Amino acid sequence: MDEGERPRAAITIDNLHFSYPGAGRPLFANLSLHLPAGGFHALFGPSGIGKSTLARILAGLTACSGRRSTAGPVLYTYNTERLPGWLTIGEHLRQVAAAPAATTTLATLEDRFGIDHCLNRRFGQLSLGQQNRVNLIRYLLQDFQTLIMDESLANVDEGTRERIIITLKEHYPDRSFLYISHNVLEVARFCRQIILLREAAKEPQIVAIEGLDATAGHPVSQTRLERTVLEILHAG
Amino acid sequence: MLANRLLQFLLLYFLAIGGLLAMKYLLGLSDYVIPGVAAMATAFTEMAAIYLGDLLDSLRVALLGHALSLLLAAGVGILASRSTALGSLIRAAAYTVQTYPIVAVAPIIFILLGDGLASRLLITILVCYFPLLLTTISVLTEPVADIEHFFISTGRNRWSLQVAIRLYENMGKLITVVAGSATLAMVGTIVAEFVAADAGIGFSIRKALYQSDLAHILVALFLVGIWTSIYLGVLETAGALIEKKWRNPAGGG
Repeated sequence: MDEGERPRAAITIDNLHFSYPGAGRPLFANLSLHLPAGGFHALFGPSGIGKSTLARILAGLTACSGRRSTAGPVLYTYNTERLPGWLTIGEHLRQVAAAPAATTTLATLEDRFGIDHCLNRRFGQLSLGQQNRVNLIRYLLQDFQTLIMDESLANVDEGTRERIIITLKEHYPDRSFLYISHNVLEVARFCRQIILLREAAKEPQIVAIEGLDATAGHPVSQTRLERTVLEILHAG
Repeated sequence: MLANRLLQFLLLYFLAIGGLLAMKYLLGLSDYVIPGVAAMATAFTEMAAIYLGDLLDSLRVALLGHALSLLLAAGVGILASRSTALGSLIRAAAYTVQTYPIVAVAPIIFILLGDGLASRLLITILVCYFPLLLTTISVLTEPVADIEHFFISTGRNRWSLQVAIRLYENMGKLITVVAGSATLAMVGTIVAEFVAADAGIGFSIRKALYQSDLAHILVALFLVGIWTSIYLGVLETAGALIEKKWRNPAGGG
């Protein structure tokens, strides 16, 4: 695609080359990626293909060769993060929601994410699903343009996960989310663009597929969902 | 915990006494080499009170030395954990200096400071300070990535917060080392007294050794073992309570 025709991008990466020290073959060679600005997108691919490494590169946390540009602050969160154990969840969230606007958002998110009953507990006393939700909330209170969620809802039940994704779309329509998940149905239904990461030997290594971008008021038909799922699976 | 420590010590002590007596009767050794049960009992009744006074004197030095070591190790460890030239220098010095056996350095300390409290205290500190320092450095230089990531990403990472996270996450390890170094403090004090001091249980053991009085030495070792076990047990119990309160609080909702 010509540079001039591209839609506005949250993150752009061109000619990315990356190898782990001592690895025989590069993980990424001459890889280019364009994450559209705004919307809920997915980075999809089999385990061990390099999704987390790519996500960290996109967030600027891992050094690589190539050109990277972003439209604003990019944050990266992953599912095994923990909170300091000496504070209760409520104390920690209030500390990191410094701005008054964030405090208002916090109250909404606590309710929508279903964690309002565990604010007096410590992080270690929560279930894994509650830990995932609490961790995600504190990132949502920050100043970001793009949030990369590396399996951030991996331990959350399906119903709650869907409610959270819908909430993100409703409350942050102008922000970009890059959601890493292994649930093909979920990414096909809820994501606007699915960035499929394939083996380094395949050309191109990245394939972008249009998702169904379901919202609360716009559910998707079973036929369209099956078609998109098949498209993702065939492209892989 | 405290009862276990005492029980473990008593078991080991009486096994060792049993071994000595078995050796005495199997090899037909004289009372001069290994005293009999009666001589041991007599030595206990005669010397226990005197040695208890000496031991409490040693324990006072050990406690003070241990406390000073903790403060010193915490302060120097925090400085050494910083990514500065001073931090690197302290880390290198700590690893190098701790390879010297303190017993070899002890005579120099006694020559310079005399055989009073200062020498005993300094040797005690040197013996239990390095394990504490090396643990503190190791804890403070090891990132807790899954907690620190958020603070780094959002620009909230402060050095004091980083120290707090690393200390909190390694509380169990630190408590184990603090409790373990209590025995080192006792060892350091006794070594100092044994080498050249003029007071304490180490000094009494040295006198008994010069008189080849094994019964008196066994009484002294019994008291040392009992009180060291108590000190260790108290620290471990306190550590467990601290961990329970801070790391694994019950309930919360």
